[in-house]
Amino acid sequence: MTSLSEEVLLVVKKVRQKKQDGTLYLMAERIAWGPEGKDRFTVSHLYADIRCQKISPDGKAKVQLQLVLHTGESTTFHFANESTALKDREAAKELLQQLLPKFKKKANKELEEKNRMLQEDPVLFQLYKDLVVSQVISAEEFWANRLGGINNTDPSPYNNKQEVGISGAFLADIRPQTDGCNGLRYNLTADIIESIFRTYPAVKQKYSENVPHNLTEKEFWTRFFQSHYFHRDRINTGTQDIFSECAKQDEKGLKTLVTQGVKNPLVDLQSLEDKTLDEGYGICTTQPSTSNANKSVKDSSNSAIIKRFNHHSAMVLAAGSRRGELASDQASETSSTDGNSRDSDFFQPPVKKVKLQEAIEFEDLQRENRPKTVPLNLKKSDRYAHGPVPLQSQQYTTSQDIINSVNYIRHEMASYKPSLTQVLSSTAATSAIAALSPGGVLMQGGAQQAINQMVPTEVQGELKHLYVAAGELLRHFWSCFPVNTLFLEEKLTGHLEEMLQTAYSKFQVWQTRRMMRKT
Amino acid sequence: MLELKRTLDAKGHGVLEMPSGTGKTISLLSLIVAYQRAFPLEVTKLIYCSRTVPEIEKVVEELRKLMEFYTKETGESNNFLALALSSRKNLCIHPEVSSLRFGKEVDGKCHSLTASYVRAQHHSNPNLPVCRFYEEFDSVGRQVPLPAGIYNLDDLKAFGRRKGWCPYYLARYSILHANIVVYSYHYLLDPKIADLVSKELAKKSVVVFDEAHNIDNVCIDSMSVNITRRTLDRCQTNVDTLQNTIHKIKETDAAKLREEYRRLVEGLKEANVARETDIYLANPVLPDEILQEAVPGSIRTAEHFVGFMRRFLEYLKSRLRVQHVVQESAPQFLKDIFEKVCIDRKPLRFCAERLQSLLRTLEIADIADFSAVTLISNFATLVSTYSQGFTIIIEPFEDRTPTIANPVLHFSCMDPSIAIKPVFQRFQSVVITSGTLSPLDIYPRILDFRPVTMASFTMTLARTCLCPLIVGRGNDQVALSSKFETREDFAVIRNYGNLLLEMSAIVPDGIVAFFTSYVYMENIVASWYEQGILENIQRNKLIFIETQDAAETSMALEKYQEACENGRGAILLSVARGKVSEGIDFVHHYGRAVIMFGVPYVYTQSRILKARLEYLRDQFQIRENDFLTFDAMRHAAQCVGRAIRGKTDYGLMIFADKRYARADKRGKLPRWIQEHINDGSLNLTVDEAVQLSKHFLRQMAQPFRQEDQLGLSLLTLEQLESEDMLQKITQIAHQT
Repeated sequence: MTSLSEEVLLVVKKVRQKKQDGTLYLMAERIAWGPEGKDRFTVSHLYADIRCQKISPDGKAKVQLQLVLHTGESTTFHFANESTALKDREAAKELLQQLLPKFKKKANKELEEKNRMLQEDPVLFQLYKDLVVSQVISAEEFWANRLGGINNTDPSPYNNKQEVGISGAFLADIRPQTDGCNGLRYNLTADIIESIFRTYPAVKQKYSENVPHNLTEKEFWTRFFQSHYFHRDRINTGTQDIFSECAKQDEKGLKTLVTQGVKNPLVDLQSLEDKTLDEGYGICTTQPSTSNANKSVKDSSNSAIIKRFNHHSAMVLAAGSRRGELASDQASETSSTDGNSRDSDFFQPPVKKVKLQEAIEFEDLQRENRPKTVPLNLKKSDRYAHGPVPLQSQQYTTSQDIINSVNYIRHEMASYKPSLTQVLSSTAATSAIAALSPGGVLMQGGAQQAINQMVPTEVQGELKHLYVAAGELLRHFWSCFPVNTLFLEEKLTGHLEEMLQTAYSKFQVWQTRRMMRKT
Repeated sequence: MLELKRTLDAKGHGVLEMPSGTGKTISLLSLIVAYQRAFPLEVTKLIYCSRTVPEIEKVVEELRKLMEFYTKETGESNNFLALALSSRKNLCIHPEVSSLRFGKEVDGKCHSLTASYVRAQHHSNPNLPVCRFYEEFDSVGRQVPLPAGIYNLDDLKAFGRRKGWCPYYLARYSILHANIVVYSYHYLLDPKIADLVSKELAKKSVVVFDEAHNIDNVCIDSMSVNITRRTLDRCQTNVDTLQNTIHKIKETDAAKLREEYRRLVEGLKEANVARETDIYLANPVLPDEILQEAVPGSIRTAEHFVGFMRRFLEYLKSRLRVQHVVQESAPQFLKDIFEKVCIDRKPLRFCAERLQSLLRTLEIADIADFSAVTLISNFATLVSTYSQGFTIIIEPFEDRTPTIANPVLHFSCMDPSIAIKPVFQRFQSVVITSGTLSPLDIYPRILDFRPVTMASFTMTLARTCLCPLIVGRGNDQVALSSKFETREDFAVIRNYGNLLLEMSAIVPDGIVAFFTSYVYMENIVASWYEQGILENIQRNKLIFIETQDAAETSMALEKYQEACENGRGAILLSVARGKVSEGIDFVHHYGRAVIMFGVPYVYTQSRILKARLEYLRDQFQIRENDFLTFDAMRHAAQCVGRAIRGKTDYGLMIFADKRYARADKRGKLPRWIQEHINDGSLNLTVDEAVQLSKHFLRQMAQPFRQEDQLGLSLLTLEQLESEDMLQKITQIAHQT
């Protein structure tokens, strides 16, 4: 492999793998390990193949790092340098932490693409099952010349990929775990961080303000989880918190949202009442000014929770639709300036009218707009399929023609004289009759259909699959020519032949089974 | 229709319960309009009262459709005039005034631009601002009646803009000769407004109260007064201002006061009927209770009246200085006030009239500032007019915070029939209708009238599109109930959470959950948060919660609808008796399931309620428990009824309280819900309910076409005209 040109980012010596001392190399695209004294890597993983890394707990005697691959395999490295083992491991971990997400996305994308292709194309899926699952060829080989083609020629699915919204419960997914000594551990993934940023732009801003200069990333998140911003049910105690500003900002955002009012007049609770009672009239009026003061701490924390849920849901919703709105933002911008103008009801009626119309309409009472269609109700579908063929236009004959021809035939018949010297021989005649009767040579067309129906569908299916699988193998076989690289030669001589052999034997098995079934 | 026609023929009153979304409004409108066309002399006007502004506008739009249909079928345009009337806030087109946000501000500002003395001054001093729309209307608009047609609020505004007339006064003027008027309850039930707006409406009118399940509370609210210390303080400053103004005027323009005095002596208090804009403050008592005689001498001069008010104010202050709860009747109060400060009953009765006259004489522009003194004088008039049906309760502190002194004087009306009585007496037919009026017989009793017809209708459904389930137990067999003893029980709260969680996983789009009270909801939400239930729910749907702030709730509601719209799905936690439960519909995917946590009993410890219950028992022979259950069940039915708005709609209705299974509760649900509750769904566990819901939802999600309904719940014209179909319909009608 072309390891020479690769950039080596980190070299860690004295790393054991399978009880063998060696050196760990972290390169731009892969991680590799070679035993001591040899210049070959025995372990090499592309970052894209790695699902995650795991590290041994801090207290353990062995300092280890485990890489789990997408295939489910895992490789464990043991950092054996007594003095710096922990530091080495941390360094490797940190670097991996930065590198993996970059490749992960790519890997995920690829995986998704593969999944999508398999789901959309049942034939391909069957092929995959026949060849890969039964281990005739490896998955890589299977995808090698498919995915490439797709990726290069048809990049459009990526571009108009649907925007994925944010799970409403992303904060709930960060389950704190106790680490045994009075502390809490939060597991953050890149996805969660992204969700937090997208939902709470204020936090993102704080992050970009603080993280490289004032705080490390870890400190930032620690503070985040400690802040009352995260635990909204706590009453604001410390003002030192860097997130108290976020809370204020959120409050402000919520307020502007509230003051903006609602577009749909049917849900505007404020304008619902036509004539509200004046202050002092009515049965049960609670004076808000007094009740506010003597609100207990619990009450206000409860209402803080409620506020928080409303805000959170609104933000999640907004984050989901933000992308889509970017284009229409411009338009709403202009209309909102209109909204500030004094007489706001000049442009309000359209929305209102539409909503009102919607509210009073019953869809089941509407006459259907489109022309009424009769649903196709077939009693015998093959009669539909083999129905009379419509006449071709050029075959039309005028009535004059018909009369003429009838006259002509009549005339012919009248002057008909059998010329017995030119008739067929009797044998030829019988053979012709035989050929025309069912089962005869000329009646093959009808018999074809019979075979089609004679063979059970599952046998047909199997045959089809075998045919396609064999075709795929042959494609692989022929694509190896001309044999100009070592790899291809190896492929050709080594396992491809073997594969074809398996395919043959598979066919053989099927054949015999079919035969047996027949008898 | 049949029942309605019978009611109209008999010129009597009716109570009709019709499920929502089955064309209640349009059938009422079409029959009454047809009746009006057939017997123009029998029924001259239809007054359609609804509750909220959107409802009012909906009614007018339906009416427009009906009229379009008439024009299409008959080929001639009829000369019906129909219009909606709303407050100034919704109708004003004056650029400055309409930009104000609160209704009271708009009213005050409008008054300061249109009051008769302002306009009089404007003649001498053209720099003084007046409302040009009103001026234009006043000079031209009255001569030309509004052309026939259907006018919604926006149409009125557009018309006003085109002509340069004030839409509000145009509408108020036009309702006198309109064929159909659509407005809110208050214009008929609140004597303060009714006197101004609806006084001259013809007797031969048909009045429809739509969404009338809460009508008794509207009546009571409009006649009740609360007085706090803050009110009294503000009133004090008002009285001081009055005194100062009087002094000032005495120096400059004593003739004006003398003129007023002379007028009061002669009893010509309503000499200026034409000045409609002045009558901003009307008498709080009903028209037939107003004394048609001169104001008594003791409060005839301005100074005397102010002194009188001062004395009355001091008396009230002393009453608020109590340490314990006092409850007394109106006569007791009058006796006490006579003994303590020698205030007679008669001058008290004229208090509101006298204040009105004074404010007009003093040419006070912004009446909104004088709301406190107005309130006090209204109270004086009310307390001295009615000896029955009212109670006075003075509470030195709130029940929840006994240490903080916050004295309140509640003067509360206990008899809703007082406010609605003139309506029943005056108009020939009054129809009370709603989706939830069960049990029907209680309304005539508490409103004290004798209906000719009472009927409860159900829907004919092509498929059972509603699925009421009563969940009485949790999966661990803990009885679910919101009753007081188990309110704080964690097992119940957890099971409620579990129910919501499971439902959020299987119900598509929107779920609305109602709690019995706001405090209860807060507590439950907090403990769900602690237990991590809400986080799990968030995995399935977004959560929105009603707050006590209307603007914030509106925003949450809109976001909720957005989340339902874009397929994410959401849950709205809300409160029975709250604004959401009263005014917002959750059609189709906005509400695929409604969960009612607990039975929404009213807060029974309140003294006002206790007094009312006592009164009901004594006067109308309605047992306390009956009334409480009735009240709770009508609110529960209101809540769950929000989800079904038509035959193509479908929704789950989950009653999560074991008490719903009892016959006395279940029997009070509207018939159209009751008949779908089968014995198998009476006491379900959460799991069983989930199984049933899954089945129901899967079935309902199948495409539902018009053809499926035809002949069953939908008839074509041919079917309607065919003989055997008519027979079938009468058969069905007889069965029910």
